[in-house]
Amino acid sequence: MTAAFLRLSGPTLRHAGGVVLVGLLGALCIFAALRLGPGDPALTALGEGATPASVAAYRARWGLDQPWPVQFAAWLLPALHGDFGTSIAVASGIPVSRLIAERLPVTAFVGAYALVLATATALVAGAVAARWRGRWPDSLATTLAVLGVAMPDFWVAYLLIGSLAFGLGLFPSFGYVPPSVSLTGALSSATLPALAIAAPMAASFTRILRAALLEESLSEHVRVARALGHPGGFVFLHHVLRNALIPFVTVVGLQVRYLLGGTVVIERIFGLPGLGALMVDAAFARDYPLVQACALVFLIGVLAANLATDGLCALLDPRRS
Amino acid sequence: MRAFLAHRLAPLGALVTGLVLLLVGVGPALSPYDPTHMDVLALLTPPDWQHPFGTDALGRDVLTRVLAGARLSLTVSATGVALAALAGTLAGLVAAERRGLLAALLLRLSDLLFSFPSFVLALFLVVVFGFGTGTLILAIALVYAPIFVRLSRNLAASARGQTYVVAARVIGQSSRSILLREILPNIAGPLLVQATLGLAFGIVIEAGLSFIGLGVQPPQPSLGTIMAEGREVFGQAPWVLTLTGLFIALTLLGLNLLGDGLRELADPKLRGRS
Repeated sequence: MTAAFLRLSGPTLRHAGGVVLVGLLGALCIFAALRLGPGDPALTALGEGATPASVAAYRARWGLDQPWPVQFAAWLLPALHGDFGTSIAVASGIPVSRLIAERLPVTAFVGAYALVLATATALVAGAVAARWRGRWPDSLATTLAVLGVAMPDFWVAYLLIGSLAFGLGLFPSFGYVPPSVSLTGALSSATLPALAIAAPMAASFTRILRAALLEESLSEHVRVARALGHPGGFVFLHHVLRNALIPFVTVVGLQVRYLLGGTVVIERIFGLPGLGALMVDAAFARDYPLVQACALVFLIGVLAANLATDGLCALLDPRRS
Repeated sequence: MRAFLAHRLAPLGALVTGLVLLLVGVGPALSPYDPTHMDVLALLTPPDWQHPFGTDALGRDVLTRVLAGARLSLTVSATGVALAALAGTLAGLVAAERRGLLAALLLRLSDLLFSFPSFVLALFLVVVFGFGTGTLILAIALVYAPIFVRLSRNLAASARGQTYVVAARVIGQSSRSILLREILPNIAGPLLVQATLGLAFGIVIEAGLSFIGLGVQPPQPSLGTIMAEGREVFGQAPWVLTLTGLFIALTLLGLNLLGDGLRELADPKLRGRS
């Protein structure tokens, strides 16, 4: 394991350089878009009726009168140390970093829960579909997957609220309990949001895993392993599944982007105090420092997930170990 | 065409998509109701023969509103995806043909756009440009453009070595004319398939953003605003939101089946695997 880890660090590190570059480019674009866009943060904060003197004072106070490379550096350098300035509208005067630190764990918890649900469902459904290809379990799994991909998550959310929350009363339809207060309460309050996010993802994961398993089971090395008389279960685990996991993990990693995007709407529906809900509030209030920071944190989350996916794929690749 | 009909899912997808487009195209004109007409004697009527999708809190016929709203949602999505296809394909072709700073910058920008969660990018654009259909269209275009960049670049790169491209080069065609006249028509099929799938994606973006109040603004009906209104009365009248969502799901199902089916038909490697 250590040797494998050392060997994969080379290309992963090179890849990490590219990721850092994209991250910096992202910071620049986020910053430039808000500065070059038609809105004026000073007028937004003070209201349309602000006097020229108060606008000038506001601009001087927040450094908006500086040349924009200076402004960019003044935003990015403290941001690299976790200082994103203070919120101007949503929670006036509160440091943005504190708001994000409060909200991020909620999104991370619900997101991880959804990812586990989707991956676990897909592993079972995909394997069952591939094992009984063309028979009824396959038809069932494939049909459900095709239907699942077509269901928008915010619609699934209300189907779940209508049936499991209002109908059966199994889970709360609104609100959040942090895991630090009560783990069962946290799981219970996060179950419906996680299910809503996970349902369409599980469907697309199942399709990918089924296709990858079928492709591997037809490959030369699997035929050789069978011809050598290895038992079916061993061939499935060590030759079929292991290789099929690489495209599967790649797709799961790419879907982190959709998962984080989905939390924006889902958190609002279920009243979860997460990062997505915070960014919606910031967008409504035009809280520029907060929007900038949220967009950057989401971007870093996706880039980190991409890096982790690459590392995991390198570890899984049998040619490396 | 025979292969298309023999394929199980592509004709079904075409049928569902065609049906949805037909309903959206002529439905509002055929409906006895007006999407904005309020009937105070029929507030929150459950679905029946007169109102198949029921009525909403203001007594408006939900089915008529859904069909009128879908017209707006489909227009927004199609415009966004068309822009994404145009800009993305152009950038992808440039990146495939040229090496150097421009190509590298285009690819990095595309990677960057691809790394933003779709709704996060859309929210960000709402802050920069304000609410409205224009921002929605831009959001769909920017979220989906990187997919066209990657696809067209890969397709064009693999077409470069093919005989027809080499032949065109030998007879002295300029590289721009090779890209636009030889390569582009040959890779248009997969790009169109991607656009079909993109249309479904754009509908979700519109509905999601309008649902949380940051897209199309009421009283204008769109699939997202109707669901947002249905959310207010979900406890007493779940049909408004549920049936609107069902219509969205049906539209997405049709487009996905059509897109996936066409992709499998175009790619012999995928054929027979489903």
